[in-house]
Amino acid sequence: MSSEQILKTSKLTKSFGNLIAVNQVELEIHQEEIVGLIGPNGAGKTTFFNLITGLEIPDEGQVIFKGIDITSMPPHKICKLGMSRTFQVTRSFAGMSVEEAIRVGAYNRREEREVQKKVDWVIKFFELEDIRDYKCSDLGLASLRKVEVARATATEPDLLLLDEVGAGLTTTELLRLMSELKRLNEETKITLCVVEHVMQMVMGLCERIFVLDAGELIAKGLPSEISNNQRVIEAYLGRRSYIESSSTD
Amino acid sequence: MNRKKNRNIENFLLLFLLIMALLVPLILGANQYNILLVTTVLLYGVMATSWNIIGGLAGQLDLASFAYLGLGAFTSGTLFIRFNFTPWIGMILGGLVAAGFALLIGIPLFRFQIREVWYALTTCALVEILKVVFNMWEEVGGPVERYLPYFRGSLYHMRFSSYVPYYYIMLGILLIALLVNSRIARSKLGYYLKALGEDETAAEVLGVNTRACKLRALVYYSFLIGVTGAVYANMYGYVHPSFFNGQESIKIAILGIVGGRGITYGPLLAALLLVGTQEFLRASLGGEVSGLYLVIYSIILILVVLFRPSGIATLFQSGYQKLATGEVKKKSVI
Amino acid sequence: MEIIIQSLFNGILMGCIYALIALGLSIIFGVMNVVNFAHGNFVMLSMYFSFWVSSLWGIDVVLTPLITFPLLFIIGMLIYYGMIDRTLREHYTIQIAVTVGLMTFLGAITQLAWQARPRAISYSFIQGNIQFGGYTIALSRLISAIISLIIIISISFFLSKTWPGRSIRATSDDSDAASLMGVDFRRTYALAFGLGSSLTAIAGGLLMTFQQVDPTMGLRFGLLSWCILALAGLGSIPGLLISGLIIGVGESLTMSFWDPRARSLVIYLIFILVLWLRPRGIFGRK
Repeated sequence: MSSEQILKTSKLTKSFGNLIAVNQVELEIHQEEIVGLIGPNGAGKTTFFNLITGLEIPDEGQVIFKGIDITSMPPHKICKLGMSRTFQVTRSFAGMSVEEAIRVGAYNRREEREVQKKVDWVIKFFELEDIRDYKCSDLGLASLRKVEVARATATEPDLLLLDEVGAGLTTTELLRLMSELKRLNEETKITLCVVEHVMQMVMGLCERIFVLDAGELIAKGLPSEISNNQRVIEAYLGRRSYIESSSTD
Repeated sequence: MNRKKNRNIENFLLLFLLIMALLVPLILGANQYNILLVTTVLLYGVMATSWNIIGGLAGQLDLASFAYLGLGAFTSGTLFIRFNFTPWIGMILGGLVAAGFALLIGIPLFRFQIREVWYALTTCALVEILKVVFNMWEEVGGPVERYLPYFRGSLYHMRFSSYVPYYYIMLGILLIALLVNSRIARSKLGYYLKALGEDETAAEVLGVNTRACKLRALVYYSFLIGVTGAVYANMYGYVHPSFFNGQESIKIAILGIVGGRGITYGPLLAALLLVGTQEFLRASLGGEVSGLYLVIYSIILILVVLFRPSGIATLFQSGYQKLATGEVKKKSVI
Repeated sequence: MEIIIQSLFNGILMGCIYALIALGLSIIFGVMNVVNFAHGNFVMLSMYFSFWVSSLWGIDVVLTPLITFPLLFIIGMLIYYGMIDRTLREHYTIQIAVTVGLMTFLGAITQLAWQARPRAISYSFIQGNIQFGGYTIALSRLISAIISLIIIISISFFLSKTWPGRSIRATSDDSDAASLMGVDFRRTYALAFGLGSSLTAIAGGLLMTFQQVDPTMGLRFGLLSWCILALAGLGSIPGLLISGLIIGVGESLTMSFWDPRARSLVIYLIFILVLWLRPRGIFGRK
């Protein structure tokens, strides 16, 4: 487990009109970690993701990725550097097949000759062999989520951001996804940052957790610390029993 | 083994079609009107197939195809008229001018993120702008047709006494357009274009430089049409600002949409069917009741769009699939 | 100097009518996000209808909208149910393709019925000129502009004060929420399409009092309306009116001072500039 910083944000701020979506957020992620980013709805998690992946430009602050300032870099360049993500509302390539969608990602690093190998590897890893020729528009939610993760993985990122991949999945599907992500991290050493509402996933997967509330970073630390943190509990008001029950997993 | 069988059937079919296409002028004989008719159908086929690169693969509703046609025509035509310049090189220059103009427009257009319907309307306005500009530009354009020098049969000047050579030239360009389309579709650019056509944002975070890709598609498309424009000028023997035709540009896009967006031979199919029908109707009905053929044509168009929005080509695809593999692929997964 | 003022007058008067046409388009596009490529041809069709009704029954052409307005309203609703409704779920290019088909159809029908040569009326009781501070204004243009303004203001009231009007606005803001409030959004769409189309009937009738019509005019009116829409943005009727005036004046000044052939050129250039620099439009909300 390396302790080198792969991502660091300092004083990251973004407002939309009168609403301060992200407020002076400072956090750092280390290589090969699996970290979680949680917080109540509207806390600014997706905006935060948008800021670090180049989909939005911050009003203030910096994003340093692998030692390079990527604050105002366009998304495709950031991907080339080694960061990729999935989306909260799945943005699938509806008219393309699973294989084609993954191929798009694979072209990020691979030339024509090697791209098929990479595609096959990703399909094998995520066990998508059965549906590789299916159109993305014909897939169910769990498969769609997997394809999105597979697609992003195909870009061979060093840091992979996952925006609520667990939402709407059944417990079985969730557990499968979790084990795949763990395997991904162990075998390929990709750093993962997971935004989640499903506490089971967060507590079971993440080594460290950051908590956002109303745009501010209110806590960070180990899962056990977070689940006992008073401010966090208050932020979730009413989810208290949820956190307590899942921390006993 | 299924794929190999598919490939063989495909190749056979293509070869067959190619031979038929080569024989058409011979079948039609000396009837110049008919030769012009099929050449016109081919012309629309070329334009629609080229359009597919920007409209089908890249998903941008470009309505400026005749802008590039006109630019190619005027470039090659003017060089021919003024300097006796051979259109064979003139057409390459025409393509370059068209592509250059496309870049000029495309760079700011894509930079300002003009999308969807506004992109369509902008390109529509573009053709009209060029029409007015060339109308007012007395030196090169002007309201009167500028005729190309007449030669009875000069290969150097690409001027012939019959339409038949033009048919073959157009066929050649069509084959090139189809080839370009097919190569792009299978390449990295093709995948990137399809991706950004589906969801630009998702494509961006996967490493697709959407702006650069769109520009590349634009350049390929406009170049091909510019080249075609030179041939167009030679075929009709003159250049005139009316070449910058907004209505026909929209028609090209319709062919691309109706044929099946993104499918390589789709637009060609649509051109063959729709333009062929239109010309056929015009020939049989045009004289009697002016405009009736257009009424029937537009009704057919509306019906096709309403009842087969996925495109004419998909009709053939499922039919062809049935033939080749004995089953139609359409599965659903939960 | 005189030319400028004269030109301005003409531009403003014309601009009112353009704004009316654009209003029709704005209702359709704003409510259901449908790009009606046939809108310009609706104007042309209305002009032909007015010409036809006027010559057939001897009614003065300025009164023809009384007949053509409901006629086009019904036609609009039928077109919505017959064509547009089915394409709502499809890719936007399919919608556009259908309206293009419609545009072609309308152009073809008018050519069939009235042939390609331009048509104009020979007499209207509002023809003639009036003098106004030393400037000559065609009475027909003046009255047309005034009627257009009245209609625009009426529509504005209709949209904000009546139930159907408000349901149209609600549906354009959020069709899901609107349907939860008991608004049948498909019927609202049909109404909007009918209303948007029928406004062209009024404009068409008015235009016929001082212009001629031919089958190729459609595209120009269509593009003009889009230019006005782009300039104005969505959501503001006064903004639409002002944009209409700007476009009308721009066109008029171009014709007087540069070249009559360039009249659309300037408009299109404005259009492109606005899209680049202020995509929301000057007065737009979204």
